[in-house]
Amino acid sequence: MAEMQTSDSGSHKKGSKKVRTKKMSTRVDLTAMVDLGFLLITFFMLATTMNKPKTMEVNKPAKEEEKVKEPPIKMSKTATLMLGARNKIYAYVSPDEIEAGTEITMDSIDYSPSGLRKFIQRRQKEVKEQWGNQDDLFVMIKPLPASNVKNIVDVLDEMTINDVKRYAILEPNDPIDSLIALQTGQSRK
Amino acid sequence: MTAMCDVAFLLLTFFILTTKFRPQEAVTIDIPSSTAQIPIPEKDIMMFQIAPDGRLFFGLDDQNTRLKLLERLSTTYELTLTQDQKDAFRLIETWGMDIRSLPDFLKMDPTARGAFNQPGLNIDTTGGQHQVEDLILFSRQENNNLRIAIKGDKTTEYRHFDKLIQALQNRKVNKFNLITSAKTAQE
Repeated sequence: MAEMQTSDSGSHKKGSKKVRTKKMSTRVDLTAMVDLGFLLITFFMLATTMNKPKTMEVNKPAKEEEKVKEPPIKMSKTATLMLGARNKIYAYVSPDEIEAGTEITMDSIDYSPSGLRKFIQRRQKEVKEQWGNQDDLFVMIKPLPASNVKNIVDVLDEMTINDVKRYAILEPNDPIDSLIALQTGQSRK
Repeated sequence: MTAMCDVAFLLLTFFILTTKFRPQEAVTIDIPSSTAQIPIPEKDIMMFQIAPDGRLFFGLDDQNTRLKLLERLSTTYELTLTQDQKDAFRLIETWGMDIRSLPDFLKMDPTARGAFNQPGLNIDTTGGQHQVEDLILFSRQENNNLRIAIKGDKTTEYRHFDKLIQALQNRKVNKFNLITSAKTAQE
């Protein structure tokens, strides 16, 4: 590339007696240019942000102002996840009717596939057995003040991974939530 | 040599064209990762950043909208700003402080401004004025297509996050984007 074909085929003609000028070399030393090129490449490689951050869309239920009466959801179709401090989730299922002797079991799980994912999949199976369709599952996500942003992202992510169709981020305002918060020694507000 | 030179410059062109410089950030934020695949929209973004200690920062991507917002803020909060200060504001990616202390911040020279430890937006309703809600309202009035993105540090506690959500919901914003980095689902 850097050298030009200086063909001297013309000079072989018979009888031509051209005065030949001294040929100058057309080779250019590229070393410096290549050095500079690589230097710039290095700079741009380091300065560039390769993986563009992604976003996760969150829809919060609108604040009720005109009080639309929605039919209450069957509690046996739900699962509640309370996000607590130190990467713990307190998961429970409310019974349809709370009576004097009702017992609620609360699982303390973590965000690993064997914790949260297993719990959701178990609930999906239970809902499917009881109601015929696992998409009926409604997950209520209730973050306590001491949980962090990563926890929320992880939980929302798990909803996508397990294909949970219905979920919402809510405030922990159920009496059961207060009890759990009290039991685990965390503030609810 | 020639081939190497060609390759080098090809790569160089590629990097020059694809590069997008990291904007100067008021605070370093380590974002959580998720399997979400939706890329951030290229423009019309209103970005809230929440530092691990709960300080809140605000940024608009478009410089013209920034100026219009400043115009609205200066009338509402009775700020007196010189042209220099307005120009400075136009170039600030993210900021976080009480709106009334903006003029002082803009008066600083750029290096001092970079070193200044910003206290975060005033999100409390003290004084009857909810500054964050005003920011949301004014920005959206100036640019109707704004999308709201929230960039929270992994370790930011939910109570800080919740304050911002409350402010957004008070302004009837129920849909927003959380910014995460990509990862694949672990088995």
